[in-house]
Amino acid sequence: MSDVFGISVSALQAFQQAINVTSNNIANASTPGFDRETLNLTEAAPQSNGTATIGAGVVASGTNRAFSQAAANQLNTSQSSLGQLNALQLYTNQIDNLFGTTVGGLSTALQNFYSAFSDVANNPTSTASRQALIGQAQSVASSFQNASGEMNSLNTDVNSRITNDVTQINSIAKAISTLNNQIVTGTAQNGGQPPNELLDQRDQLVSNLSQLVGISTTTDPNGSLNVFVGNGQPLVLQGQTTTLTTVANQFNATQLEISNSASSAVISNNITSGDLGGLLAARAQVINPALNQLGQIATAVSQTVNAQQANGLDLSGNLGANIFSVSAPLATGSSRNTDAVTASVTTANGLGALTANDYVLSFAGGTPKLTNTSDGTSVTPAGAGTAASPYTAAGISIVLSGTPANGDQFLVQPTATAAAGLKVVLSNPSKIAAAGAIKSAAAAANTGSATISAGTVLNSGNPNLLAPVTITFANPPSSYSVNGGPAVAYASGGNINVNGWQVQVSGAPAGGDTFTVSSNAGGTGDNRNALAAANQQNVGVLQNGTTSITGGISALITGLGSQAQQINTAQTAQAAVNAQALASVQSTSGVNLDEEAASLLQWQQSYQAAAHALVIGNSLFTTLIGALNQ
Amino acid sequence: MRITEGLNQTQFLTAINALESGINQTQNQMSTNLQFTTASQNPTAAGSVNNYTQALAQSQQYVTNATSAQTNLSTEDNALSQVQTQLQALRTLALQANSGTLSNSNLSAIATQAVQIQNSLLSLANTQNGNGEFMFGGFAAQTQPFTISATGAAYNGDQGQRQVQIAAGQTVADGDNGDTVFNQIKTGNGTFTVAAAAGNSGSGIVGATTLSNPAAYDGGTYAITFGAAGAYQVTKGATVVATGSYTDGGTIAFNGVQVTLSGQPASGDSFSLAPSANQSVFTTVQNLVSALQTGVSGGASSTALNNSINSAINNIDQALSQTSNVRATVGGRLNSITTQQSVATASQTQLQQSISTLQGLDFAKAITTLDQQNTTLSAALQAFTLTQGLSLFKFM
Repeated sequence: MSDVFGISVSALQAFQQAINVTSNNIANASTPGFDRETLNLTEAAPQSNGTATIGAGVVASGTNRAFSQAAANQLNTSQSSLGQLNALQLYTNQIDNLFGTTVGGLSTALQNFYSAFSDVANNPTSTASRQALIGQAQSVASSFQNASGEMNSLNTDVNSRITNDVTQINSIAKAISTLNNQIVTGTAQNGGQPPNELLDQRDQLVSNLSQLVGISTTTDPNGSLNVFVGNGQPLVLQGQTTTLTTVANQFNATQLEISNSASSAVISNNITSGDLGGLLAARAQVINPALNQLGQIATAVSQTVNAQQANGLDLSGNLGANIFSVSAPLATGSSRNTDAVTASVTTANGLGALTANDYVLSFAGGTPKLTNTSDGTSVTPAGAGTAASPYTAAGISIVLSGTPANGDQFLVQPTATAAAGLKVVLSNPSKIAAAGAIKSAAAAANTGSATISAGTVLNSGNPNLLAPVTITFANPPSSYSVNGGPAVAYASGGNINVNGWQVQVSGAPAGGDTFTVSSNAGGTGDNRNALAAANQQNVGVLQNGTTSITGGISALITGLGSQAQQINTAQTAQAAVNAQALASVQSTSGVNLDEEAASLLQWQQSYQAAAHALVIGNSLFTTLIGALNQ
Repeated sequence: MRITEGLNQTQFLTAINALESGINQTQNQMSTNLQFTTASQNPTAAGSVNNYTQALAQSQQYVTNATSAQTNLSTEDNALSQVQTQLQALRTLALQANSGTLSNSNLSAIATQAVQIQNSLLSLANTQNGNGEFMFGGFAAQTQPFTISATGAAYNGDQGQRQVQIAAGQTVADGDNGDTVFNQIKTGNGTFTVAAAAGNSGSGIVGATTLSNPAAYDGGTYAITFGAAGAYQVTKGATVVATGSYTDGGTIAFNGVQVTLSGQPASGDSFSLAPSANQSVFTTVQNLVSALQTGVSGGASSTALNNSINSAINNIDQALSQTSNVRATVGGRLNSITTQQSVATASQTQLQQSISTLQGLDFAKAITTLDQQNTTLSAALQAFTLTQGLSLFKFM
C-alpha cells in the first residue's frame, strides 16, 4: 500500500522538476547561448515482493543539454569567416563610397588639369590660362592627398580596431579559463553531472571569440576547453591564458601587428579569419595596395609633367622648372636589424618599370634577396648595393650605407607615400614652359626648296641645348656640316641630332643653303611644349608603356570596385552559410515555445495523473482504515 | 527541422534588412538617375565610364581648341584679304606709273600713295589677335614682327608656326609667320629673275620671262651682253652658252629659259639672269617707291624706271600669289576645323550614349524593381506578423 504513495510522490517530484526545466527553457528562450534542456527520467530500482517485481516510481537523474559540438564548431568556423569578410567589407565599402566612380574626384581633376594645358596651348601668352593651369595642378595634388589621406585614416582606424579586438580576445580568454576551473570543480561537486549553465556560458564565449578571431578548440577529459588561435598558438590551456599583444610593425611603427606574449613572435600572418583577420587583410590587401597604386599614378603624373616642363621654355626664356614634387621611394630598415645600415632607393628604369608593389630586401649568408610582398616571388638583385653598383631589380635601385649583417631586412616601398607627398612647387604662372626650347629657321638667302622641321628636344639635360647651331649645305648639296664640323651625308627627312635636340631637313636644298637652330627665347607665342603636355594623359607610361595615366585611373577604379564587389559577394555567400549553421545549432539547441507549451501540458497532465494516483492510494488507505474501524 | 522563435526572428530581420537595403539602392539610383554610384556596383562599367568620360572631356577640349584656332585663322584671313587689296592697289599704281607719259611730279604723287600702301601693309603685317599676340611674328608673339627700315622692313619674329590640337593625332596651324607670308617671296617669275645692268645706256626693257623647259635650266646665273647691231652673247662665268642676234621685241632663249626684251640695247649693255631669291614685300614696295621718287631725267633713266617698275610688278604679282597661297591654306585649315567639329559632335554624342548605356538608369525598369521590392517587403512584413500570432500558448 505504501508503494502507491512512494511511486506517486516520486512522480510528483519528477514532474514538478520537469515543469521547472520546461519553465526554465521558456524563461531562457531569448538568452544568448542558452541550450535547451530536458529532464532525464529513469525508472526507480524495482522492488520485488517475492512473486512479482514492481517498479518503484520515477527518478529525475539530471538534466540533458541539447548541444551538438559538431554543429557548434561548424557555426564557430562560419562565424570566423563571416567576421573576416564583415571587417573587409567595412573597409572596401568605405573606400567604394568615398571614391565613388571618380576616385573621389581625382579623375575629374586630372581631366581638368590636362584640359588646362590645352587652354595654355591655345593662349600661351595669357596669364589667366597659365594661372588656371596652376590652380588645376593644385586640385590634382589635393585630390591625390585627399585620397591617400582617406586611406591613411582607414589604416589608423584599423589600428584602433586591432587594439580593441586584442583587448576583447584577452578578456574572453580570461573568462574561458575561469569557467574552465569552475566547470571542473562544479562537475566534481555534482557527482559527474556538469553544470549546464556554465557550459552554456563557455560555449557562448567561444562563439563570441570565433567572431573576433579564427580558433580551434580541444576538450580535456576533465571538461576543460583549450583554445588555440592562428596556427595553433595556445590562447587558453585549461586554467591558463596566453595573452595577445599588439606590437609595431618592424618596418612601419604606425602599423600594429599581433604578437603572442609567450613567444613574443609576430603571429599576424597566421591570423587569417575573424574580425582581426579581416582587419589585417583589409590593411594588407585593400588599403596599402590602393595607396601604392595611387602613388604609382601620382609619380607618373609628376614625372611626366616635370619632364615635359624641362623640355620647354617659360615666358622668360628659361628651361621649365618642375610643376610637381613627389615623395621619393621609401626604404626602411627593420627595427630588428642588428646594425645601423640604412638603404636609399630610387626608381631605376623609368616609369614603365615602376610597380605598385612593396619589396623586402633581406640578407642570408651575404646574399641579397628581393621579395615581392604581394606575390611572394623573390629575385637576387644585380649589383653590390654600393653607390657605384647599386642593387637593381624590379625597376628600383637600392644603395646601402654599409655592409648589412646576416638577417638584416629592409622594406622597399617605391610608391607608398607618393600620393600623400604630391605637391605643386610652381607658383609663378610665367614659369610654365609652354614654348618649345628651340626654334629652327631657314636662311633668307636660301635658294633651295628644302625646309627644316620645328625640332624636338630629346635630352633637356644637354648643356648646349640652347646654343645656336648652323647647318650649312655643301656644294653640291649632298652633304652638310654642323657648325662647320665634318661633312655628313644628307638624306631628305633624315634625323639630325645635335646638342640634345632633333630636327629634320626635307626637300632639295641648294648648295650653300643654311639652316639655323637656336634658343626659342622670346617665342612666347609658341605652344609646342604645352601641346605635348596636354596629350600626356593618353601616352602609355606605366607598366612598360602599356598603360596611360587615364588607363591607370580606370584600372584603379575597376580594381577597387571589383575587390569590393567580390568581397560583397563572398560576404553574402558566407552570411547564407552562417545562417545555415545557425539554423542547425538552433534546431538542436534552441527553444521552440510551442514545443515547450506541449511539454508543459504533458507534464501538467502527468502531474495531475500522479496526484490522482495519490488520491486513489489515499482512498484505498481510507477504505482499509474504515473497514478496520468497523 | 525544429524552427525556434529566435531563429525565425533572426532570419526575418536578415531578410528585411536585405530587402530594405535593396529598396534604398533603387531609391538612390532613381534620385541620382544613375545605374551605379560606386565602382563596386559595376566595376568594369565604372572603369569604362572613366575612359569614356575622359575621352568626352578631351573631345570637348578639342572643340574649344578648334574654336580658338578658328578665331585666329579668321583674323588672319581677314588681314590677308586686306593685304591682297593693298597689293592690287599698288599694282594698279605701278601700271599707272609705267605708262611712260608721267612727269616727275606725277610720279612723286604716285610714290606718296605707294608709301601710304606700304604703311598699311606694315600695319597689317603687325596685326594682333584678340589676346594681343602679333599674328605674323611666329613664336615671338609678343614682339612687333615688322619695323620699318631703309630697305623695306626688318623682321623681328621667327619662322615658328603654332599648332593647335583639334582631334586625337590631328593638329592644325592657327596662323602663319610673317617670314613665310611677307618675306619669303621669290623674285622675278619665281624661278629666275632678269635685271638690266645699272650702267645700260640703250633702251632695252625686260619684258616677259618664262621657263620653257624646267629640266634644261640649271639654276645658274647668266649674263646677256649686247654687242653692235643687236648681236648678243650669253655667258655663264667665262663660258659662252649661246649667241644670237636680237631685234626689238625679240625673245632670247637658251638653256630652257626665254627672255623677251623690248627697245634697243646699246652695245655694251648687259642683262643678268639669276635664280630667284627671296625678297620681302616691303623691299619690293621700297624699291618701287625709290624708283618713283628718283623719277625720270632723260631717255636712259626712263628705261631704268620702266625696268624697275616692271620688276616691281613681277614681284608684286609674286607677293599676291604668295598671299593667295597662304589664304588657300588658311581656308583649308578652316575647312578641316569645321569637318573636325562635326566629327567631334558626332563622337561626343556617341560617347554620351555609351556612358548613358553603361551608367544611365532605365527608369521604367527601376520603377518596376522598386514596385517589386515594395511588394516583397510588405508581403514579408505581413507574413511575419501572421506567423508571430501562431503560438500554442494562445490556445491554453
